[in-house]
Amino acid sequence: MTTSTVPAAGPTARPLLVRPREGRFLAGVAAGTAAHLRLDPLAVRVAYVVLAFLGVGVVAYALLWLTMPAGDPWAGSEPGTEPDPALRERPSRRQLIGLALLALVAVGVVSRLASFGGTDVVLPLILAGAGMAVIWRQFDSADPAVLGGTARWGLAAGVVLGVAGVVLLLASTGQLANARNGFTATVVILVGITLATAPLWRRLLDSRAAERAALIRSEERAAVAAHLHDSVLQTLALIQRHAEDPTAVGRLARSQERELRAWLYEPTVATGGTWAGLVARLVAEVEADHAVAVEPVVVGDLPVDDAVATLGQAAKEAVVNAAKHSGAATVSLYSEVSAGSVTVFVRDRGTGFDPAGVPADRRGLRDSVIGRLTRLQGTATVRSAPGEGTEVELCLPRVEQEASA
Amino acid sequence: MSRTRVFLVDDHAMVRAGVRAELGDDVEVVGEAADVGTAVTGIRATTPDVVLLDVHLPGGGGHAVLQSLRAELPATRWLALSVSDAAEDVIAVIRAGARGYVTKTISGPDLRDAVRRVAEGDVVFSPRLAGFVLDAFAAAGSPPAAPAEDPATDPGLDLLSAREREVMQLLARGYTYREIGGRLFISVKTVESHASNVLRKLQLSNRNELTRWAATNRLL
Repeated sequence: MTTSTVPAAGPTARPLLVRPREGRFLAGVAAGTAAHLRLDPLAVRVAYVVLAFLGVGVVAYALLWLTMPAGDPWAGSEPGTEPDPALRERPSRRQLIGLALLALVAVGVVSRLASFGGTDVVLPLILAGAGMAVIWRQFDSADPAVLGGTARWGLAAGVVLGVAGVVLLLASTGQLANARNGFTATVVILVGITLATAPLWRRLLDSRAAERAALIRSEERAAVAAHLHDSVLQTLALIQRHAEDPTAVGRLARSQERELRAWLYEPTVATGGTWAGLVARLVAEVEADHAVAVEPVVVGDLPVDDAVATLGQAAKEAVVNAAKHSGAATVSLYSEVSAGSVTVFVRDRGTGFDPAGVPADRRGLRDSVIGRLTRLQGTATVRSAPGEGTEVELCLPRVEQEASA
Repeated sequence: MSRTRVFLVDDHAMVRAGVRAELGDDVEVVGEAADVGTAVTGIRATTPDVVLLDVHLPGGGGHAVLQSLRAELPATRWLALSVSDAAEDVIAVIRAGARGYVTKTISGPDLRDAVRRVAEGDVVFSPRLAGFVLDAFAAAGSPPAAPAEDPATDPGLDLLSAREREVMQLLARGYTYREIGGRLFISVKTVESHASNVLRKLQLSNRNELTRWAATNRLL
């Protein structure tokens, strides 16, 4: 006989005894137990139901509900040992079977109780029990600190059910008058205890708030650290590796500076789909691909639509042209968003050219800049002369905005 | 002509060393400071021609230095020098009295030129500052046609004239004063006076919109 086929991590690989979030029927006790024992949840549920007829099942279920923490039983176990997702889902047929079994149990319990207590006692007991179960269920499913609207209503319904059950029980057994005296005494004692321990509660609440704040702070710090690691530290490492190449170092430093600055000062630009963000991105792309520094200045902003995105592509093409052909080290990009139009100026102080005698290699400017703008009913103007640099002006009318204004 | 006497205020020693190296021998660096307190005492003691002032400083920021010394030293010119792109910081220093704003990525020759021009009483608009100004005055919500229609009824500080707007736009497009003069067929001196008028409006206008603009930009 050999033992080599048995997985080494036998006991540790066993799922934790916790109540899973998915696949639970009532409180997840049966599902959790089944996962822990590696049995079919249906079998465990049947066992609980059978035991419930003896009374032991109900007590065991309640105790386990109290003691088993909610969680993912498969957390921490190696992947592959999980059951297939279909099992973790809540199968509707099983739910039906479960409901039927529950009804059976209910009928059984009621008939047993009725046989020695009479319906006067049984109905209030069932009401109180149901109310209790609803309250427990609500507190169980949601974090009590963040009880949502539906959970709160469920809680209220549970309280009403429970109170109705207790009152009915007392009324039916003729103990209501007695209970009233006892109730007053209890209320007095409770109020007294609450007042006496108020500072303690207050301190508990305060420390809880402080803990939350500390948690938020530490999460924030972790996010900042993660961002700095992914961006700044990586770039510094790259810069060290390229220490011999000043162009590469300059390019890395500039693109990182731009990104960090956007992250620090213009979070909406860095993430949002606006024109200023688009310009920042296209500038970063051009700087990454070409040995040129671009100075973007954007006045005003607007959300990006198709026309604006095309304007961005044309502007990028103009900047790339300047980077490739002008020989200038810096390119200025200025864009102004006004009520009627979006204008872009791309300017370099490079060699310049004669726009009348555009050489064949400048087809890029004609097709991808001027052509794009013409299709959008915009205009593209190129001002240049040999030795005087080049300025490309793009103007896109904002048709929809004017119509709606 | 004696060399321009410059005082450096920046909380990073590396930046001060770099700026000092870039300024070269054209100017005389008479002192350095790393925070508001030492800057105030140092500038008071040396009375420099130009103070290169970082926008972000421990102890209250660049505009704290400006506010405590500006009335006392009317002959000293202030030039804001910063990596900050936050518009409200830059506008705050300009409104406190700085004569210009350049970013720390500025090249050595450009920085020397900017210091020289500020020392001579000019204002220095980097393209970015021109963009901020256009943004600030556009945010006033004036329709583009209004200033042209009734320039006489609103001669105040709240609007840029059409010419001033043109100058600011060309500055933002990367043009120099000389090139702007060439484009608009005006002299460089006229361009300079337009620029200092804009700076004056920016400093003196206490219009609510400008403050609100700064406030919303802080939120962005």
